[in-house]
Amino acid sequence: MSAVQTQSPPSRRSRFSGGVHLSTQQLNEAGLAAALILLIIVLSFTAENFATTANMWAILGDAALVGIVAWAGTLVIVAGEIDLSVGSAVAFWSVILAELDGRWSLPLWLAIVLTLVGGMLVGALGGWVRARFGVPSFIVTLGLYSALRGLAQFMTNSLPVPIETNSFLDTLGGKIGQVPTAAILMLVLFVIFAFISRRTTFGRSVFAVGGNARAAMLTGINVSRVRILIFAVSGLSAALLGVVFAARLASGSSSAAVGLEFSVIAAVVVGGTSLSGGRGSLLGTLLGVLFITVIGNGLVILGVNSYVQDVVRGGLIVGAVLINMLLLRRGGAESR
Amino acid sequence: MTEPGTAIATISGASKQYGAVQALSGVDLSIARGEVRALLGKNGAGKSTVIRLLAGVEAPDEGSVTLGGTRLQGPDVQLAQRLGVMTVYQELTLIPEMTLAENLFMGAWPKRNGQIDQRRMEDESQAALHRLGLDLHPRRLVGELSIADQQMVEIARALANDPTLLILDEPTSSLAAAEVDRVLTVVETIRSSGVAVVYVSHRLAEIRRIADTATVMRDGRVIDTLPMANLTSRQVVAMMVGESGAETPAVSEAAGRREAGPVLMTVREVAVAPKLAGVTFEVRAGEVLGLAGVLGSGRTELLQVMAGLREPDSGTVEFEGKRIDGKGFTHAKKLGVGITPEDRKNDGIIPELGVDENLVLTDWGKVSRFGVIKPQQLLIAAQRAIASMSVRTRDPRTPIGHLSGGNQQKIVIGRWLHAGSRLLLLDEPTRGVDVQAKAQIYELLRELAAAGTAVVFVSSEMDELNLVCDRAVVLAGGRIVAEQAAPAIETETLLLAAIAEH
Repeated sequence: MSAVQTQSPPSRRSRFSGGVHLSTQQLNEAGLAAALILLIIVLSFTAENFATTANMWAILGDAALVGIVAWAGTLVIVAGEIDLSVGSAVAFWSVILAELDGRWSLPLWLAIVLTLVGGMLVGALGGWVRARFGVPSFIVTLGLYSALRGLAQFMTNSLPVPIETNSFLDTLGGKIGQVPTAAILMLVLFVIFAFISRRTTFGRSVFAVGGNARAAMLTGINVSRVRILIFAVSGLSAALLGVVFAARLASGSSSAAVGLEFSVIAAVVVGGTSLSGGRGSLLGTLLGVLFITVIGNGLVILGVNSYVQDVVRGGLIVGAVLINMLLLRRGGAESR
Repeated sequence: MTEPGTAIATISGASKQYGAVQALSGVDLSIARGEVRALLGKNGAGKSTVIRLLAGVEAPDEGSVTLGGTRLQGPDVQLAQRLGVMTVYQELTLIPEMTLAENLFMGAWPKRNGQIDQRRMEDESQAALHRLGLDLHPRRLVGELSIADQQMVEIARALANDPTLLILDEPTSSLAAAEVDRVLTVVETIRSSGVAVVYVSHRLAEIRRIADTATVMRDGRVIDTLPMANLTSRQVVAMMVGESGAETPAVSEAAGRREAGPVLMTVREVAVAPKLAGVTFEVRAGEVLGLAGVLGSGRTELLQVMAGLREPDSGTVEFEGKRIDGKGFTHAKKLGVGITPEDRKNDGIIPELGVDENLVLTDWGKVSRFGVIKPQQLLIAAQRAIASMSVRTRDPRTPIGHLSGGNQQKIVIGRWLHAGSRLLLLDEPTRGVDVQAKAQIYELLRELAAAGTAVVFVSSEMDELNLVCDRAVVLAGGRIVAEQAAPAIETETLLLAAIAEH
């Protein structure tokens, strides 16, 4: 996990004189990691069958269903934008994949490529409307949120569209050995996105635009291009998760991934990324995704009523962000 | 209380210190009922501090502030307002999405049966506006009004509290000439109603028209208070400038002024309504050109036109003989034009990013390959800039927001050196920067000029122009009204040109 190490940004080091040098971001990540471990320990003792290898892999597999889009989602939020369309986009593209492969009888690889390209283009289109006309991304993606799911339901009459399975799809939707393939995909993407966010000019431009778009523009950064690209990447990620969903369910489903956008936003902000942009980390989001998934898994195993689960989850999310803010305020006071 | 009933506001023996800066020392000031008093002085002379004392925003360290016979104990804006002092600040505080009437009654809307009494609110607004000779419908949204009208609404709101003293802080700095006239008419109306006015402005023509007396400040002291009638502009400027210049550490002459190179940029008859009305000048390689002008004279607009950030209404901008106006900022940047904004905090730095990354934003290409950053090259570029500009930071990766203003400014300028720019447009690069960093920035600019870079240096502090510039031009009334070349750049002459009538 060396990529995880490089992820922690040294640039946000606050000036604690002597002793430990921890940025508020690192402080937050350490706190979240501690909370996660504590949560796992508590659940190991209270919930039967929680601390089994199989359940741990299952948690990673579930985490992938958020994580695969949460990495791009982190960049979107760091850029000071928001993407509410990912859940609908996942459903829509799973349906498109099934239609292309089934009704259109395209070879599977071509259907997948077209699905991914389509996801990227629709995302880029949304980003273009944002960048070119200044329509807030909240509105643009709210529109896509409604339109994409509606379109998927219209095309399918809200019925699943079966996909003829083959060994590739079976593997993608299943496991390699004991490990869910989606989890591997999530971790590979994590490494890629962590690299993009820390070490590429594009990634740093995203931070610059989110931190101060006007200043970024005055240094000659093409702010519109950055905005279009992050939504293209977000759309591509959503289409990819749509393919994973289709593989898992052996069908395209217009009712897949309902509410995913909110899980992504929750994971990102729990991970310490600022909703106002300019600050955040992918390691934080990884911890946030795991935190939220572990809570969900634990509550199910504990047999908590599913409505109550939502209440508990809501409370824990707000609590985690609250603690983060208090830490940040303290860190800010000390560096002043 | 020497003359009861006449002095409505008195400051006596007031001193005020901000950190190491002595903003005021032993200031005495007294304003009589119904008087219009101009407050004059260069930036940093202490005008704003005097206003803050009168408005109750701050209390003096020593001395006292007495309003209408009551001595203020500590800062208390509400009390000062009750005692009849209302202030209209330079920045407008209206809510553009609300109506004129709602803004006039902001926070104290008249109510009937638990609802806002629209009728009464609008009637009273109408009456208040009429008193100022304004014909505006109270139901209009403030955002639809011109800046001048918004300024007037702001004044009307202050008058709604029946003040005995109204403070106007540069009310005309963002207005065009024709609009200025309307504001002045309103001030005359106020004067005839018996309300005293303290009027801060850099424009002598305005002051001459409305003020009875003028108080001139310099370096935190009141130099004199004189009747406006027999005071010449030259006398005013002499009092404002004093014998300074000698006190400020001069840039080593050795870094030296030399013959300027070929013309790099030509600005021809550039007009941008309402600020610029045909500006023509050229910038040569290897010179530092000072661009002076008071707040609102159009300096920023002119720089934006030169950088391609704004299209002029008419006129042309040429870079090395080729027209660049209308081709945009990216085009200008590619040719070698760099600009640093006036508002460093909001438009300049990206506070969360490190010093290193803030530096290389203008050209990632030098520290990356195929879009992947090379940490070693980034570090070297940052260290080189930090060393050559004496930036004080422990680690190149420190977020730039943690640095002092002067060090931030060096990095913001350094960006364009990193990008290899040949023409630097610097908008107030020394504003909010400490003395030492100022001297370092001057020195940096001299070195750049010696190496053939052209620098346009915008400043509202005229006395720094002769420290660093080869040539200085003055922008006033939308045109270049004066030009001087080193070593004969005189602060007094520049200031006179900038603030005198045109």
